[in-house]
Amino acid sequence: MGERGLPRMKEVRIRFRKIGRAKYISHLDLTRTMTRALRRAGIPIWYTEGFNRHPYVTFASPLSLGFEGLCESMDIRLVQDMPMEELVAVLNSAMPEGLEVYAADQPVMKAREIAFARYRLTFTGDIEKIPDFLAQDSIIAEKRSKKGVVRQIDLKTYLEKSDIHIDSEKTELEITLPCSSSETVNPMLIAAAYSDYVFKNNTKKAFCDVSRLDLMNSQGCSFK
Amino acid sequence: MAYCLEDVFRLVQKPGRYTGGELNSVTKDKEKVAIRFAFCFPDLYEVGMSHLGMKLLYGLYNSQEDVWCERVFMPDTDMEELMRQNGIKLFGLESRDAIDTFDFIGFTLQYELSFTAILNMLELAGLPLHAAERDSSYPLVIAGGPCTCNPEPIADFFDLFILGEGEEVSLELNDLYRRHKSQGYDKDKFLKEAVKIEGVYVPSLYDISYNYDGTIASVDACDGAPAKVKKRIVGDLNTAYYPESFVVPYIDIVHDRAMSEVFRGCIRGCRFCQAGFIYRPVREKSPEVIDAQSRSLCESTGYEEFSLSSLSTSDYSEIERLLPMLLDWAEDQQTNISLPSLRIDGFSQELAARLNVLRRSGLTFAPEAGTQRLRDAINKNLSEEEILDTARKAFSAGWTSVKLYFMNGLPTETMEDIEGIAELGQKIVDCYYQNPNRLKGKGVNVTISVACFVPKPFTPFQWEPQDTIEVLQQKQKHLRNSLTTRKITLRWHDASTSFLEGVIARGDRRLCGVMEEAFRRGCKRDAWSEHFNLNTWLEVMNDLNIDPHFYANRRREYDEILPWDHLNYGVTKAFLIKENRLAHESRTTPNCRQNCSGCGAAGWGKGVCLE
Repeated sequence: MGERGLPRMKEVRIRFRKIGRAKYISHLDLTRTMTRALRRAGIPIWYTEGFNRHPYVTFASPLSLGFEGLCESMDIRLVQDMPMEELVAVLNSAMPEGLEVYAADQPVMKAREIAFARYRLTFTGDIEKIPDFLAQDSIIAEKRSKKGVVRQIDLKTYLEKSDIHIDSEKTELEITLPCSSSETVNPMLIAAAYSDYVFKNNTKKAFCDVSRLDLMNSQGCSFK
Repeated sequence: MAYCLEDVFRLVQKPGRYTGGELNSVTKDKEKVAIRFAFCFPDLYEVGMSHLGMKLLYGLYNSQEDVWCERVFMPDTDMEELMRQNGIKLFGLESRDAIDTFDFIGFTLQYELSFTAILNMLELAGLPLHAAERDSSYPLVIAGGPCTCNPEPIADFFDLFILGEGEEVSLELNDLYRRHKSQGYDKDKFLKEAVKIEGVYVPSLYDISYNYDGTIASVDACDGAPAKVKKRIVGDLNTAYYPESFVVPYIDIVHDRAMSEVFRGCIRGCRFCQAGFIYRPVREKSPEVIDAQSRSLCESTGYEEFSLSSLSTSDYSEIERLLPMLLDWAEDQQTNISLPSLRIDGFSQELAARLNVLRRSGLTFAPEAGTQRLRDAINKNLSEEEILDTARKAFSAGWTSVKLYFMNGLPTETMEDIEGIAELGQKIVDCYYQNPNRLKGKGVNVTISVACFVPKPFTPFQWEPQDTIEVLQQKQKHLRNSLTTRKITLRWHDASTSFLEGVIARGDRRLCGVMEEAFRRGCKRDAWSEHFNLNTWLEVMNDLNIDPHFYANRRREYDEILPWDHLNYGVTKAFLIKENRLAHESRTTPNCRQNCSGCGAAGWGKGVCLE
């Protein structure tokens, strides 16, 4: 028996992809969506105690609205053990379009250990000036903290270490950015900086698709 | 260069309103279906997705293999602007195809103030507004829902209306359409055949002429259309279609839960209430059917809450048998049952205790009027003692807040009746403090919400003048001055929106021009208070020589031809006249279970009329 006389519950980290139309599910809405999927699948999840009981579901790192995620994870607790392969199968069959579970295992790291995230930015329109944009000595972006303090950062420091693939149709940029509670750099800052660079008078915006490829700890090991 | 739809999703607030792909939404191969149907709700996604009727018909249409029904909602202002700027036409959420290539565009008419939103959606779809300007190459634009009981103010924009319940007539219309499509569809020929289906009203086949005083002189049916169009009902709800699953939205919507319909109609016959007359007769589902449907819905959606849906749900005759059945599995599955405004005093101790385990919503009453005399006049058979008794019980059980719903401007209302509202609120506050078991240190909160009465077609008050905005405001002021305690919170409805609703509710076809011109001058979200602008409407009516008071504030004679007299909702005019006279004598009529009052709905020989 665990704390407060409750049976010891099994912690499970569920790995999933959030792609296609599902990228427009906000973080808040994802909690509700996942809770309902777990209920439909009949997975014996643990409910919090108290007056307002709800299923315990927690996500490692929120993903911005509109981003795809290829390495997302959420933690649940089981009140009754079940084989992980079975959990993945039944949960997958209860998932809406664009949410795909690919693994379930026991958590190794804590969510607070996450320090970096790797993203792929795909530009498909107005890509002609990207090489010039990247060749600048510095790319200054304004970053607003939660408290509203604006500070300037040089995106060039991150872009220097990124992988860039350019072909006639699209330009792909793979980049690692800070993603922790103390410091986060949103990849959309790059898209916004490029947009300003191409359309100086702000008549239009340049868009890119963003996929989060991986989450890593401070040593660069993938989040497990 | 224009943005594409995917780009636009990045720029709008809450893209989840427009992206589709939710769980249980239906996708079909458009090459393999015969009929594509755009089900349009003229309000935001959050509002439309909460609506049971839409879920029901969406499921029904899609249960037919060769029909693909998609959902369409009114875009918010930011989305609309981007759609117009970038030439993006109104599209179905499932396929994201523009709906101007569909076979049907169907609107649900839930409230009068959504009518201009319909015009906006037709324009966003790229269709000419007037039915007469749309030839056979355009989709058929149809509508159903409660406001089709007087669709005259928007008659010019629609090809046909469905009166009453849509389950059967929709399928019959689809059958007719398939036949016509296989033989080369011609809109005029189709419409002339469609009027032979009971419940189908094709407004273009009716000529209206007017008297010098502006009242209607005659309504003449042409080309074989019936002189009176009768609404349709579903006879047996136990065997009627009900969806096994709902589309589960991602974003937070107004009513985000499973819903089980328990019955249609209402036994009460409150004289102000249109729903109480147009949905007659009362037909119930059996507890077994409701239980099975609720369970299937919860399993297919994963919803953590479901509600029982109907008018006056506590009148369900088998509620004592139904609730334990539902609770048996709902408790196991941690599913909440939400019960809208049930009378708790009717329940056994054991049942009340089990319901208390679940999260409870606040206690609400709808006395509608402040004095017994006026409650008798409107046939609201709820006595002060019943209200106070229930409040006492609720306070003993730990409730600390009560909501009361009233109306201002009811026929025969005086300032004494207004004061009665404040007095009733005070008596409930007193009940709380007389309760020795009340939680110490916790005050009571009584909320009084006051709406403005709008006379509606097919009610005994269809001949009554609506109070003017000025009178309604005086009454609101008097009520505010009559309140003496801060334990009571007062909320009231804006009288100017009720006035416009009053104009449209009993309007005739001459308002079609007003609708279109108001829309052209920017009125397209009248149901959203922040976009409502009465002045624009008044200017339009002034410019078009239409007197709004003729529609809203005029008393009609019993023998006047009303704009909806050629529509038959089963309740006879003679019955409504009798009810109107009784109202002026403050005399009540028993409910359908106590005694049949001969309203005319027994003609169907269904439901409560057979009990």
